[in-house]
Amino acid sequence: MTAYILRRLLGVVAVVAATTVLIFGIVHILPGNVAYAILGEFATPSAVAALEVKLGLHDPLWLQYWHWLSGLLHGDLGQSLTMDRPAGPVIAEAVGRSAILAGFAFALVAVGGIGLGVHAATHAGRPADHVLGLAQLIFIGVPDFFWAILVILVFASMLGWLPATGYSPISDGFGAWVSHLVLPVLVLAVGLIAHVSRLTRAAMLEALRSRYVLMARAKGLSERRVLWRHAAPNAMLPAITILAIDFGLLIGGVVVIETVFAIPGLGRLLVFAIEHHDLPLLQAGMLVLTTIYALANLAADLAYAALNPRIRYTASA
Amino acid sequence: MPGWTHRMAEPLLAIERLSVAFPTRRGLVQALQSVDLSVPAGGALALVGESGSGKSTVVLALLGLLGRARVDAARMSFDGIDLRTRAAEVRGRRLAVVFQDPSSSLNPALAIGRQVAEPLVIHGKLPAATARVQATELLAEVGLPRPSALMDCYPHQLSGGMKQRVAIAMALAAHPDLLLLDEPTTALDVTVEAGILDLLADLRARRGLSLLLVSHNLGIVDRLCDRAAVLYAGRVVEDGPVPGVLGRSRHPYTRGLLAALPRPDETGLLSPIPGNLPDLTAPVAGCNFQPRCAFAAAGCEAPQMLTGADHLVRCHRAVALEGASWPAPAPLPPPPVRDGALLVAEGLSRRFGAVQAVDAVSLTIAPGEVLGLVGESGCGKSTLGRLLLRLIASHAGSLAFGGEAIPNDPTRSFRRRAQIVFQNPDTALNPRQTVGTILRRPLEHFGIARGAAARTEIARLLELVRLPASYASRYPHQLSGGEKQRVGIARALASRPEFIVCDEAVSALDVSVQAAVLNLLAELRQSLGLALLFVSHDISVIAHVADRVAVMYGGALMEVGPAAIVLHPPFHPYTQALLSAVPVIGRRARDRLRLPGEPGAVHPGEGCRFALRCHRQLGQVCLEQAPPWRDLGDGHQIRCHISIEALQELSQGS
Repeated sequence: MTAYILRRLLGVVAVVAATTVLIFGIVHILPGNVAYAILGEFATPSAVAALEVKLGLHDPLWLQYWHWLSGLLHGDLGQSLTMDRPAGPVIAEAVGRSAILAGFAFALVAVGGIGLGVHAATHAGRPADHVLGLAQLIFIGVPDFFWAILVILVFASMLGWLPATGYSPISDGFGAWVSHLVLPVLVLAVGLIAHVSRLTRAAMLEALRSRYVLMARAKGLSERRVLWRHAAPNAMLPAITILAIDFGLLIGGVVVIETVFAIPGLGRLLVFAIEHHDLPLLQAGMLVLTTIYALANLAADLAYAALNPRIRYTASA
Repeated sequence: MPGWTHRMAEPLLAIERLSVAFPTRRGLVQALQSVDLSVPAGGALALVGESGSGKSTVVLALLGLLGRARVDAARMSFDGIDLRTRAAEVRGRRLAVVFQDPSSSLNPALAIGRQVAEPLVIHGKLPAATARVQATELLAEVGLPRPSALMDCYPHQLSGGMKQRVAIAMALAAHPDLLLLDEPTTALDVTVEAGILDLLADLRARRGLSLLLVSHNLGIVDRLCDRAAVLYAGRVVEDGPVPGVLGRSRHPYTRGLLAALPRPDETGLLSPIPGNLPDLTAPVAGCNFQPRCAFAAAGCEAPQMLTGADHLVRCHRAVALEGASWPAPAPLPPPPVRDGALLVAEGLSRRFGAVQAVDAVSLTIAPGEVLGLVGESGCGKSTLGRLLLRLIASHAGSLAFGGEAIPNDPTRSFRRRAQIVFQNPDTALNPRQTVGTILRRPLEHFGIARGAAARTEIARLLELVRLPASYASRYPHQLSGGEKQRVGIARALASRPEFIVCDEAVSALDVSVQAAVLNLLAELRQSLGLALLFVSHDISVIAHVADRVAVMYGGALMEVGPAAIVLHPPFHPYTQALLSAVPVIGRRARDRLRLPGEPGAVHPGEGCRFALRCHRQLGQVCLEQAPPWRDLGDGHQIRCHISIEALQELSQGS
C-alpha cells in the first residue's frame, strides 16, 4: 500500500509539472497586451515599450518559462501586474473563500448523494424512489445558474430571508457568514447530489441483488447490517469514482456561482485576471487549481484502493 | 429424556404440501406444487432435478428468503419450530446454507476472516478476538492450508475450491444442525469437487450434521446422501433410499437423468431427455413430464399420486415399467476421420506475466477428428485452444493449418475455417442482438450470404442445431441455457468451418441438456466432417465425444492417444487421478485416489510438473529430470519416468 501511495504521489508531481508547460503555453496564446492593460489605452508607445522590457516580455519564451518555473520552485508564485502585489497571498485569500464554498458543497454532495441514493435503492419501485428519480432528472437537466437566479429571486428578493449576493468573513459574525453561504452552497450542490444519488442508487441495487447479499441474509444478519456492512462497501466503489469526477465539475461550478453571487473567490479572481490580462496571476491561479484537482483525484484513488481489495493487492504485489 | 425420544420419532425437518408461486408479468409461476420432504436428525437428503425444477426455491423457502413469492404450506417445521413464521430465528444459526458459486456468494470487499467470524460474533456473542481464533480453527477444519494467513486474504485471492471451503467454514461457524447445500460443487472441477464431497461426508460424520443437498447431478448424490427426492417442474416425482432411487429407479424422469450422465468407462452417444420444462404458469393436473417421457401412454393426463411404502413414485405406469431403461439413441456410424493432418502445432508456448500458461505443446489434429483436451482449471487448456485459433499470440512455436503456416496475425480465410464455441452461453451472446442478427454477422463478414440468401442460411443453421426457424427473432434472454449454447454452435458453424474449438462448451449445462448438446456435436461432426478440439475438465464428457485424448497439466501435455486406449490402463498417474475423481454411481468413496498437494500446483524447474502432486512419484528423478515421452504404440504416448511395465502393473491394482 505504501509503495502504491508513493507511486501515485509521484504521478501527481508529474501531472502538475506537465501542466505548468500547458498553462504557460495557453496563457501566452491569449490575445492582448499586458503593458496596455496596466498603463491604460492612452499610454504612449515609449512607456509601453519600457514596461514591456521591465516585465521581461521581450525575452525568449523558454527563458520566461524558466524564470516562472524557478520562481515556483522557490515558492514564489509571481507578481500580480494589475494589483502590484505578490500573487501568492492574493490567491491564498481567494482560495480560502472558494474552499469554504466548495468544501460545504462537496460534503453536502457526498452525504446527500450517497444517502439519497441508498434510500432510493432500498425503496426501489416505491413512491419515494419515483419522487427521487424525477427530482434527479430535473436537477441534472437544468443548469445551476438557473437555480441561482431562482433562489435569489425567491429567498432574497421576494421573501428577504437571505442576502442575495456577496461574502461576509466569519470575523464579522457567524450569522452573516452562514447566511451568505447558504444559497451558493445549495445551488452548487443540488445538481451534483442528483448525479451522485442516481449512480449510487444503481450501484446499490446491483449490490442488493447480488449473491453475497443473499448469503449475508441467509447468515441471519439484520437488514441494517446486510445493507451497511455487506452491500454498501461494494456499492461505494462506483460512488467514489463519481464523487471524484464531480469534484472537477464542482470546481467549474464554483467559477460560475462565485460570479453570480459575487463571492471574491478563486473563480472570480481568475475571471478578473483574464479580463485584465494579468498573466502571472492567471498562471498562478490556474496552477493552484490544477494542483487541487490532481490532489482530489489522488484522494479518490486512495479511497478506492482502501475499499477495493483487488486494487490494493494487485497494486502492492 | 423425553426430548430425545421426541426427536427420534419426529424428523428434524418436515415439509408438507409446500407450494410456492412467483408473481410475474406473464402471470403466476408455480415453482413448487405441494412438495413433501423430510430429513431425519443426522440424515442426508438429496433433492435432484434439472435447472428450473424448483430445487433452489425449496432452499430459499426454508430460509424464509423468497421475498414477494407466495409461499403456502400445510407444515414447514424444523425441530418443532414453524418455519412459515419463525424462519428468521433459525436462519444462519441452526439452519445454514452453502450456495452454488463461491465466487459470487462471498463478499468481494470483505476479508475472509471477517466473513467467517461474523456468525460467531453476531449469533455466538463472542468477543472479536475469540471469534477470530475460532474462525481460524474452522478454516483448518475444512482443510484449508495456512489458515491464519488466509484470514486476512480476500476472496479474489483464492481458487474456486478454496472459496467453497471458506463458504462451508462460514456455514459451520453458526454450529448448525442442518446444512443446506445448493449445488455446492457445480461450479468446480471434478478433482476439486471430489475433495469437497469428501469434506462434507467427513463433516457429517464428525459433527453429526443433517444435510439437504440440492443438485442436478445424480452422481454426487451417491457419495453423500442416504435418501433422494427427485423434483420435476415443482413436483416430487420419486422419493426413496439412495440405492433404490439410483439402482432401481421407478420414475421415467429419474431413469432419463441417469441415462444422460456421462461415465468415463463408456463411449458413444448419451441418452438425452428431449424437450424443455413445461410452462409453469399453467400447470397441468396430470403428469407434467408426459410431453418429454419416452414411456408416455394413455392415462398420463390423469392426476397422479405419490405412492409406495418407502420408495415412492408419482407414475401410474411404475409397476408396468419395472426394469425398463430409458431408450438409447441409435449409434452413429464410425467417425469420418481422414488421413493426414488438418492442424499441426509445434512447440506452441505462451506466458502471462511470470506464468508459463502453455509450454512447448505439439499436437496434430486430422481432418474430421475430435481431439479431447482434458485437465483441471488453470492448466492452460483454454489458452492452448485460443493459441490454436490464433486468437491470442504465441511467444514461441509454429502452427500449420491445411498445410499452410499460420502466423500470429492470421488471414480472414483462416478465421473463416477455424471457429470457437465458448463455455458460458450467457456471456458469449450479445444480449442486445436477436439470434438472427448474431448469425447474420459471420455470414456477411465472410461473404457467405446476404439479404434473402442470408435469411435462408440462418434458417438452415437453426435447423442444423435443432432449433425452430422462428428463434431468429428471439433475444438470448428468451432462450434456455441449452438453447443458447445451440445458438453458439450455430454461430460457429455459420462460416462453414473445418475446425471448431469447443471450450468447455457443455460445462455450464445440466446433465440432461449436456447430453443433448454433446449428441448434437457428435452428429454435426459426422454429417459435416468437422474436426473439433473439445476442451473439458470432465474426463467422462471427453470419453463420450473424443476420438483421441490429450491430458494437460501445468501448461504441458502428459499423455496423448486414442480415447479407447488412454482411458484404460496403463495410463499416466495424472490421468488415473482424473478418472478416479469422476463421481461414478456405485463406486465407493474409499476406493478413490486422492492426490497430495494443492490442485494445479506446478513443480518448478526441470523436473516433472506433476511431481508435487503425484501419488507415484519416484523421488529425485521426478523432481530433477524432465520426464521422457514413452511411446506405447498406436499413437499412445505417456510422458513419465515410470516404466511402461510398472505403469501397467500398478494401474491394474487401482
